[in-house]
Amino acid sequence: MTAAEIAEKVGGTVAVAADGAQATSVYVGDLLSDVMGHAGEDCVLVTIQNHLNTIAVCTLVGCTVLVICHSRPIPPDMAEGAAREGVAVVVTPLSQYAVALALKELPPSTH
Amino acid sequence: MTIADVVKVLNGKLMAGDGTSPRVVGAVVANDLMSDVLLTDADDVLLLTSLASDQAIRTAHIVGAVGVVIHNAKPLSETMIKVANDLGIPLVSSPLSKYDACVKMHDAFLAEARG
Amino acid sequence: MSDYSPTILQGQQTNDDEILAKTPLDAKALGGDSSVVIMELLQRFKVRDVMKRQVLSIPRKATLREAQRILRENHISGLPVSEDGRLYGIISVNDIINGLDHGWMDDTVDMHMASSLVVLEAGMPISFALRYFNNYTYGRFPVLDSNRQLVGIISQRDVMRALLYELSVEIRKLERKTADKVAQPAPPSETHFFRREWAVVHNDLTGAGRAANEIKQLLREKKVDRSVARRIAVAAYELEINICIHSHGGVLVMVISDNAVTITAKDRGPGIPDIEWACRDGTSTANDWIRSLGFGAGMGLSNSKRVADFFEIESEVGKFTKVTCAFNLKKLEAPAGGTAS
Repeated sequence: MTAAEIAEKVGGTVAVAADGAQATSVYVGDLLSDVMGHAGEDCVLVTIQNHLNTIAVCTLVGCTVLVICHSRPIPPDMAEGAAREGVAVVVTPLSQYAVALALKELPPSTH
Repeated sequence: MTIADVVKVLNGKLMAGDGTSPRVVGAVVANDLMSDVLLTDADDVLLLTSLASDQAIRTAHIVGAVGVVIHNAKPLSETMIKVANDLGIPLVSSPLSKYDACVKMHDAFLAEARG
Repeated sequence: MSDYSPTILQGQQTNDDEILAKTPLDAKALGGDSSVVIMELLQRFKVRDVMKRQVLSIPRKATLREAQRILRENHISGLPVSEDGRLYGIISVNDIINGLDHGWMDDTVDMHMASSLVVLEAGMPISFALRYFNNYTYGRFPVLDSNRQLVGIISQRDVMRALLYELSVEIRKLERKTADKVAQPAPPSETHFFRREWAVVHNDLTGAGRAANEIKQLLREKKVDRSVARRIAVAAYELEINICIHSHGGVLVMVISDNAVTITAKDRGPGIPDIEWACRDGTSTANDWIRSLGFGAGMGLSNSKRVADFFEIESEVGKFTKVTCAFNLKKLEAPAGGTAS
């Protein structure tokens, strides 16, 4: 599923686009250590963490689409980091729970 | 759906509380950031979180949650279980990821609505 | 019931509950001095002031059966193995259980005692003993003097009992002092008030939130409207966490008056250079460690501001930060003859 398709499903907007960003599974998590321990490659990461560190974690686990919930603003350094690392960022007003339901056709991410 | 039903749906294990609470889950909050959980206005919340710490229980108590589910079968400390028992917050450990749990909870709500 | 009787600490053999009853629950008179008093006590008191001196012991060649009898008759769970003041080991109830299990009851205690021991020295401050209880799982430690002679034994209970007793004395002293200072009557608007204070320790994230949980329970007992109680508890929790992770420590105070509840959080610095920035949603100086505990997303101050009916923050760099959140308890009166909306 592409970032644009994901944005449409979660009623959000693509804040940072990235060529070829695709997701085949989903991981929901706000603790970056937990995400690093459990999220697998090519997942879409659903989180509230609007922070540059989140981009670093995405590159570590091999996630190219990030969904930021509750319309949390993307700080400039985070947007720059995402563009540089090829991580697409989608911002949605929905909660993590609601985003999970919107994406339920995708399987859970396995590590 | 009561906490006993949640245990079944999420293939979980009850770690604190006796599972006989008659309270019914009114809303699901899936979040590891406690400040964000405190923002919710919903009543009778079930908190799904990967934060295996006392703070998850204390936050649940503040918002009057029906219970707390910890994901990925994370080990729970004795103090966390004690805090849950002291504050009367049912605590469930589930092997499912938070995403999987969200989907399963939703399916269970739909099944319940259908009767 | 006390371990190892008789003991020469007769003066401190007060019942714990009695001391608690004498200790005022509302330590408002203490103000900022309370933690200083505790720190001072922890340093001033030495292990020898608190330990039990008359230690029962057993020689190395006594049998487990004899050890069992002494443990049972004295209602204790551990017994030093010593001869002429020299400590060889400790035999505990666990060793007896193993002995019963395996048929070792007629073996000598030196065959089954724990012989690599953690000991305390009589001259160490009590703060050391507390750290030992924290770091090791043992319920008691043998105490040696500077000549490595066994002179006593100390349990967590001994420490607590002594500290409680001394604290109650100190609190009464402080109360008398402040009572003289503030002998004037309280302002009329605060005649029916309830006040309680909680100390919040820097970086103690296992304890943080405890005050907020207690506040919520107190508000429930006082039959404060549920949704108001929730807003108050949310503010208290955020402010408590803020003190814990961002300050050198401080206090959380709740005052309930006839028509309002006020939560005040005051810390001992380092202060906030840019208050407007700090109150903005999503701004934070938190580090990764704090984030890993589920906080530090920069929502604390904005959350407490959002839920409060009145919000005020003062800060002086290098000195303090004080946040006040107030909540109306009484709904606005409906106009006569009308219905409340």
